[in-house]
Amino acid sequence: HFLVCYLINRKKMSLKSERRGIHVDQSELLCKKGCGYYGNPAWQGFCSKCWREEYHKARQKQIQEDWELAERLQREEEEAFASSQTSQGAQSLTFSKFEEKKTNEKTRKVTTVKKFFSASSRVGSKKAEIQEAKAPSPSINRQTSIETDRVSKEFIEFLKTFHKTGQEIYKQTKMFLEAMHYKRNLSTTWDSSCVQNNYKNLTKKKKKRKRMPPERVEKIMDQIEKYIMTRLYKYVFCPETTDDEKKDLAVQKRIRALHWVTPQMLCVPVNEEIPEVSDMVVKAITDIIEMDSKRVPRDKLACITKCSKHIFNAIKITKDEPASADDFLPTLIYIVLKGNPPRLQSNIQYITRFCNPSRLMSGEDGYYFTNLCCAVTFIEKLDAQSLNLSQEDFDRYMSGQTSPRKQESENWSPDACLGVKQMYKNLDLLSQLNERQERIMNEAKKLEKDLIDWTDGIAKKVQDIVEKCPLEIKPPNQSLAAIDSENVENDKLPPPLQPQVYAG
Amino acid sequence: MAQADGRPQPGAGQPHVFKLVLLGSGSVGKSSLALRYVKNDFKSILPTVGCAFFTKVVELGATSLKFEIWDTAGQEKYHSVCHLYFRGANAALLVYDITSKDSFHKAQQWLKDLEREFLPGEVVVMLVGNKTDLSEEREVTFEEGKEFAESQSLLFMETSARLNHQVTEAFSAIARELLQRAERKEDQTRRGGARLALNQGPMGRAKCCAR
Repeated sequence: HFLVCYLINRKKMSLKSERRGIHVDQSELLCKKGCGYYGNPAWQGFCSKCWREEYHKARQKQIQEDWELAERLQREEEEAFASSQTSQGAQSLTFSKFEEKKTNEKTRKVTTVKKFFSASSRVGSKKAEIQEAKAPSPSINRQTSIETDRVSKEFIEFLKTFHKTGQEIYKQTKMFLEAMHYKRNLSTTWDSSCVQNNYKNLTKKKKKRKRMPPERVEKIMDQIEKYIMTRLYKYVFCPETTDDEKKDLAVQKRIRALHWVTPQMLCVPVNEEIPEVSDMVVKAITDIIEMDSKRVPRDKLACITKCSKHIFNAIKITKDEPASADDFLPTLIYIVLKGNPPRLQSNIQYITRFCNPSRLMSGEDGYYFTNLCCAVTFIEKLDAQSLNLSQEDFDRYMSGQTSPRKQESENWSPDACLGVKQMYKNLDLLSQLNERQERIMNEAKKLEKDLIDWTDGIAKKVQDIVEKCPLEIKPPNQSLAAIDSENVENDKLPPPLQPQVYAG
Repeated sequence: MAQADGRPQPGAGQPHVFKLVLLGSGSVGKSSLALRYVKNDFKSILPTVGCAFFTKVVELGATSLKFEIWDTAGQEKYHSVCHLYFRGANAALLVYDITSKDSFHKAQQWLKDLEREFLPGEVVVMLVGNKTDLSEEREVTFEEGKEFAESQSLLFMETSARLNHQVTEAFSAIARELLQRAERKEDQTRRGGARLALNQGPMGRAKCCAR
């Protein structure tokens, strides 16, 4: 118990000392709950302890809902992906990762809740948690531990080349990792600054001690980053203490709602009718989707860079001159819209938090990463004006009433994938059939009406005639034979003429 | 945040790295300027695929420095996201087209964006009027540009990327200014060392998590 108090106090102190550098009014820095400790804007003005209490109350309720939503969306996503042949492999991997994460989070939640209610037995539950972390159930984490083992082995091999320094680094890193495991439930901002500080400290130490050439230090830092981040990945990627997951879903939904955006609207200088270009576009999309499956921030960055290179190639083939930033950014936006990479926001946050910061502010990787950030921000803010559309059109497309593609189906590029072409043909056919059906229905109705009119007309005519000439029933006539019998005056008639023969 | 001091520190024998952002509206010749400067080339077929990110080592007397040139998308609609490029920049090149008054106004707008992101004096800003080879169609006079630059204390130059006129000079001027400022800063650090040590950052935290 003492140890926990000690740690929390240390943290407060360090926060204080950090604040001293920046000149802000002291009263604004105190925790909003008035516990006397310092608050932090990242924790909405609470101190870490109060914030965690507040946050967990609200969060516990929401988590269940979010999971359900996430699960459903993921299922939809999976179905959508299953139908596209290009990224089948990548998807199965992401999906399994997602499952893994979910299960992992569940166990984590249990311990968090347990801890939350049994503050007095804190140390005990923490211990249990560490054991849990050290002995993860094999079925969930088999894939993870294989990768972790491999990276650990590589790391040790790498450090062996440095003899004594290597040993020290290993010890330090190990210690750092254990400390991180121990405090896994603290906020992510804090995790992130821990990692960043660790980077800085290690770099400094190495520079001081050995006067190593900077390239060498950089190489060691890369290895350390790889090792640490592989081990910490599942605890710090998209952690539940932040709203990364919600943002992910928001971005995903947004991109899905923008499915109708065409390259022409974004002024993308890429002509997908050229097979080489469409090949590059597909490759770029695969790369950006692959980013989610990497664990080390630097590997994620490498995926972005690879994607960017493919984009540059695509532009170069189309325009026959090297692409400038004016061409690149729109194309990247288009690729992101088309690919809808999974957990985009989480990935960006993760890279920002845990990558060696010098890599994000400068260097080629940093440049492409910045471009990706721009693309995502642009997509979030995108409106009618940025697509050169009228507000009505934009609203109509967004609400899904019409799609510009449907109207333009005749000039659908001939080199598009066969299935898509077939689909558009079928859509065309269907709409034609629909039209004909409607026409037939109309005509049938008209015919029905005509028929009814006709019968009515006939009936009316008959009626008229009947009215005009009413039926008179005469007394029944005598039988034909009796005609003569009643004719009394018959007797008065002269006898019938007898035939006379004249000799001629 | 922690990123603020994450700039690569120059090691022994390694040149300072400076990040330079190219700003300006579409088709004023940002990329062409950079291309001309880095490869001495004006839009011919290049072995490299992209020309949005360049590096170039500049020798200035005894010292050398490395430029990292970040091209940005100039279209109006991307204006709102461009501040993301500014992070960690040391210099900015505001490019306008002397044949277009509009691009000159846009450059002034970019300057306002820069001022929002940086403290005065934090970045070296240079105003560049490009396309002097089209001086018959000139809409912005040399004096206009110069006056504006002086009023905002920016460096100023007119260039032609097509004719390779004053391109290298413009970048060199930035490099000189950057080095001067770096030296001045070093002096200040030496003098105000005690004060700065306080702001060095939370050292206690790092120890805390390593334990």
